[in-house]
Amino acid sequence: MLKKSLIAFAVSGLLIAPAHAEVQINGFASIKAGMTLDSDDELYGYTNDLDFKNESLMALQVRSDLGEKLSVTAQLMGRGSNDFDIGFEWAFITYQLNDNTMINAGRLRGPFYKYSEYKDVGYAYDWSRVPRSVYGLGFDNIEGISVYRTDIIAGFDSTLIAMYGGYDGTTGLGDGQLDGFFGASWELSRDWYNFRIAYYNADASLTFANQDANNLLGALNANGFAALAEEIDFDKDKGTFFGIGAGIDRENLVIVAEYNRTEVDNTLFANRENYFISVAYRLGSITPYISHEWERHDSKPEIYQPYQNLASTPLAPLYFGAVATVESQAKEADTLNIGLRYDFHSSAAFKLQYTSQKNKLLDTRVGLLVAGVDLVF
Amino acid sequence: MIQKIALLVFVLSFGVQADIAVIVNPANANVVSADDLNRLFLGRASSFADGSKATPLNLSEGQVARDEFDSKVLNRSSAQLKAYWSKLVFTGKGTPPKEMADDAAVKAAVAADPNAIGYISSGSVDGTVKVVTTF
Repeated sequence: MLKKSLIAFAVSGLLIAPAHAEVQINGFASIKAGMTLDSDDELYGYTNDLDFKNESLMALQVRSDLGEKLSVTAQLMGRGSNDFDIGFEWAFITYQLNDNTMINAGRLRGPFYKYSEYKDVGYAYDWSRVPRSVYGLGFDNIEGISVYRTDIIAGFDSTLIAMYGGYDGTTGLGDGQLDGFFGASWELSRDWYNFRIAYYNADASLTFANQDANNLLGALNANGFAALAEEIDFDKDKGTFFGIGAGIDRENLVIVAEYNRTEVDNTLFANRENYFISVAYRLGSITPYISHEWERHDSKPEIYQPYQNLASTPLAPLYFGAVATVESQAKEADTLNIGLRYDFHSSAAFKLQYTSQKNKLLDTRVGLLVAGVDLVF
Repeated sequence: MIQKIALLVFVLSFGVQADIAVIVNPANANVVSADDLNRLFLGRASSFADGSKATPLNLSEGQVARDEFDSKVLNRSSAQLKAYWSKLVFTGKGTPPKEMADDAAVKAAVAADPNAIGYISSGSVDGTVKVVTTF
């Protein structure tokens, strides 16, 4: 409720903006066409049929300066994957506390990763998309308040974002919510190199999208295994996210690497470790790049192991159901991306990217080719 | 002949010499380093050394001095700068400096505003503004 009212507040700010207020309108768009290289293969929403919609999007941002250090910003976005239905991706008010400090309140993007806040603005980076297996929390936005602060510390440009809030909506595993979300991201940069560290936590609750998992929880509770059900379900369970990153940008050579670890205690959520490295080289208006992503999700057999005696009883289906549900969270995949960015226009870039993802548990490989244009206006 | 060579030397040296002048209002006594310029024009600082507010003014894209400033002072191509600003604009963290049509517009704005800082081709400088550094 608080969240909805925050957005309403931010939007009403736009409407009540005085007539003399300075209004800036900016936008960005991506038009992407792609297909997997083998029939039956699917990756990131693409199939073997050429698709123009899946990763295409358009966004319009309106920012109004209300004076007295207050401004209001709304970003409306339509994603092709959602039939270009328009929604508020960001909607917030900003108070400029002083030269170095800004306070934002409303719907914001969680700054988990180095590129997460502008991951939809393809023009702002070289790849066709951000490293998706590393940026895989399954939700982007937080409704709440953030403090953005820039400083110069020992010759480094320091950028600190601290955030408090919550989330209510879809996640990778089903509809859910995060309560008491808080944490911070801190980036230091100097000349040609930069470092980043981020830590966030929240209490996570959700209803599984997979109905079998919900049925299993019901059966466990009905048969006196509430303790096991609690080890599997998400019921205000503490989740933590920790990420680090580093980059260099020197003499046209751009290298970026990030690592992150996500855990949710007392749930089936696997201990996830994801990392990538990307190397790009600017040759005038053409920037070829290569990147590699590692996705390591270790399932938690310790959840069901204490119950293995059940395997030889009439309740064996419950035990094997728990095993299957917990193990469904295991994942081990490597992804290679090769591509190029071509700045063919002062406000638009053409990108071509080949992605090859190997699922190491199933020993399968999927190839994906995507071409498109990212632009800002 | 000698006159022609002298003229040629003059033209060549003019071509490679400092051709961007960073200008402030004559009332502004601050020293501005290359680092300060970077921070001001990349939105990472908004005041002069003495703590007074600084309003950076850009030239519009396509002006000769703009390209020179981007590459010599900010060490970035115009595409890189556009990418840089789109990160800030679309995350609510900043807005790029206001763009002026040409040298004359920057000069007039700086002459009229003690907080303004801009850059123009050296050849456009006159007594209404003060040059703090050249590139």
